[in-house]
Amino acid sequence: MLAGFRAALAKDVRLLVRDGVGLVFLTVAPIVVITVAGLSLANLYGPDAGASPIVLPLVDADGGRVGRAIAERLAAEPAVRAEPVADADAARRRVREKAAAAALVVPAGTTDAIAAGRPARLVVFTDPVRTFELARVRLLVEELRHAVQAGLRDAAAGELDAARARADAARADLDRTLDRLRADVARLAAARAAARAQSAAAKREASARVDAARKRLAARLVPLRTFLADLEARRTTFDAWLAEVRKQAGRFADRVPPPPAPPVVPPEVAALAAADERTLLARLLPDDGALASLARVDLPPPPRLPAVELPASPDVRLPGALAAEETSVSGAPRTPNPFDQNVPGFAITFLLLGVLLGVSLALLDERDWGTLDRLRATRTPLGAVLGAKLVARAAVGLAQMALLFAVGRLAFDVSLGRAPWALVLPTAGIVAAGTAFGLVVAGATASREAVLPVGSIVILTMAAAGGCWWPIDLEPRWMRRAALAFPTTWAMDAYNDLMIRREPPQAVLRATAALAAFAVLYLAAGLLLFRRRVRRG
Amino acid sequence: MPAVLVDGLTKRWGARVALRGVSFTVERGEIVGLLGPNGAGKSTTLGVLATQLPFDRGRVVIADRELPRDAGAARRVVGLVPQQIALYPTLSAEENLRFFGRAAGLTAAAAAVAAATALARFGLAERAREPIARLSVGMRRRLNLACGILHAPAIVLLDEPVVGVDPQSRERIFAAVQELARGGAAVVYSTHQMEEAERLCGRIVLLDGGEVRAAGTPAALVAATGLVPHVRLRTIRSLGPGWLDGVAGARVVTLADGACDVALADASAVPAVLAAADRGGGRLVEFQVVRPNLADAFLALTGHALRDDDLA
Repeated sequence: MLAGFRAALAKDVRLLVRDGVGLVFLTVAPIVVITVAGLSLANLYGPDAGASPIVLPLVDADGGRVGRAIAERLAAEPAVRAEPVADADAARRRVREKAAAAALVVPAGTTDAIAAGRPARLVVFTDPVRTFELARVRLLVEELRHAVQAGLRDAAAGELDAARARADAARADLDRTLDRLRADVARLAAARAAARAQSAAAKREASARVDAARKRLAARLVPLRTFLADLEARRTTFDAWLAEVRKQAGRFADRVPPPPAPPVVPPEVAALAAADERTLLARLLPDDGALASLARVDLPPPPRLPAVELPASPDVRLPGALAAEETSVSGAPRTPNPFDQNVPGFAITFLLLGVLLGVSLALLDERDWGTLDRLRATRTPLGAVLGAKLVARAAVGLAQMALLFAVGRLAFDVSLGRAPWALVLPTAGIVAAGTAFGLVVAGATASREAVLPVGSIVILTMAAAGGCWWPIDLEPRWMRRAALAFPTTWAMDAYNDLMIRREPPQAVLRATAALAAFAVLYLAAGLLLFRRRVRRG
Repeated sequence: MPAVLVDGLTKRWGARVALRGVSFTVERGEIVGLLGPNGAGKSTTLGVLATQLPFDRGRVVIADRELPRDAGAARRVVGLVPQQIALYPTLSAEENLRFFGRAAGLTAAAAAVAAATALARFGLAERAREPIARLSVGMRRRLNLACGILHAPAIVLLDEPVVGVDPQSRERIFAAVQELARGGAAVVYSTHQMEEAERLCGRIVLLDGGEVRAAGTPAALVAATGLVPHVRLRTIRSLGPGWLDGVAGARVVTLADGACDVALADASAVPAVLAAADRGGGRLVEFQVVRPNLADAFLALTGHALRDDDLA
């Protein structure tokens, strides 16, 4: 039994080693797929893993501190290559032309607005298809925003600290001045109290002297007043006597000679006699003169007010909030439905499996069955036979794509873009290219066994590198450029334009033309290879 | 001008010369056999005639169409029946017939009529709608032939059309080939089966190593080799010397232990030889008359057998 087992084992090893196609499928195919997938996903692991930095057009319309800070931080960021552009329109154009996933605009007046405590906004133009790069840009913009705000806050805090220090010093100076002032005022108050006491004593003394003087005056005026009163009384009596005299003189009264005039009391004397003592005293002893001479007190000079220099109010405000505003350059939703990427991507993958393997295996079947040789001996040209085969497969491919998009629409609500009919353009293109490539594979391979590894490698490579399985912006830039050699890349670009970017049909004409060119190229190469193989037998 | 003219045809596969100055003709109504072992150049010759293969030198004319210049026109009059059963396995017999009829230039209606006629002619009408993968090998061979002659071609190229078939199918195929010739078609019949060639072909081209070794009617080919009939005898007792004396046109080739091989000038001498053996006291147990055939002629001409089992 052991001998039989050894013989069988040796036989199987020999069969395996001699199965070149199988060995290719076991080794080369996975190596190719691993390489393509690894290179495609390099960006996931950051720039150190071989990824290329993100291109970020930058518009500094601000020209101030914020704009400079953002430019400096971007310059120091290895994952980003900032490209200064002239204005927002140029930035938008760069994104629209797919030269960048996003562009950053620092609007004019941003620094002033923030410095004035008003909110300001950074503007980010985005291409919603390039989700991975966008996520990195969003993260970066957030970091920039926080960094700028933190910088501005730090600056404001520094200015506030300086102002606080100046205020503290001024306050200490003011305190010292006030202390001195308080001392002066205290001294003044004491002097004033002393002066008041002294003045009150002087006043009392003066008042006493005045009272005494008034009393003396009053006493001295009594004889005058008595004389004047007596004089008045005598004048009255005289008048009465005269009147009686005249009366008795009767008709001769006019002959009575006028009496001699009594002496006239001078008015000053009369006023003096009529005035009271207080008035007279006030007239004779005016207060200011009398009191000044009586209550003069030396008060200390008023305290000199120091020249206090208070610091000016600090011109510091807390910085305004800095926000970021995203704008999709095509007006598409900012966040696409993931199925908008996956439905066309995997539809293309399975389309290729269907048409590429279908065409190549069907042609090999024709060769193996002998029907192709038989047909070559008929009046039907080989071109017609091949053309019919390709058209039939292409029709199946179109139906397959239509079905997958219909399911995608119904089950996953995928976007069909502004003009759903335009999806026919890339669909027809990739179907034609895939079908024609099936002819290339059929011409390049000698057997059905060879089609599987060759076809698998081709399909997996085209699908992976062309962005069918993940957004193509995951791939390094060089790989994206290399992937332009695959029709899948152009087809996915067209689908992304229509379904995610919501571009008009004109936007996919270039990609459709490229797909048509691929189809023609593959068809020509396929015909050449296939004819040669057929003629070789 | 013969229906098929091949003159000095040379075809190389890289450094290997597959055909080296092959020349023959086929007239209308004639069946010409290409006879030779595997690798002799039969299929390559048919490939050239069917316009499938380019050739390096020589002249090939098919129904007055010069190849390769008039290959397109030649294809209109050629019907190829390849050695392989070249049919679509998932299509039915009728669908295959209709398709190859259309490919040969028939209108849809004409193809339908021709398909129905062929199905009846080759005994396939009852299985007409079944995928041919379900048909027997013999049925598929018949269908394979039918698909090649559906458009009544003037030139019919048959590449070993009865390989692996049952006797019933072979007879139908033979009958159809003969009918084609009777209808005026020029038939080129490639085979390595001497019996088929002898039975069907008016003339035979013996190919070996890409060269024509001989051509002519089967009898002429054998005659040309100088081979004569033999009679082989087994007797109970050994025949003595001179036992054949007096028999004209006969001579002993080998004699040993009751077995004797006698060469004859003509097969008509067999009774005289048998009588002589009886007279010689050998007591005849069995005898076998061996006539020279194409295989013997081929062996004589090339030094090796037509088929490996011919050597046994």
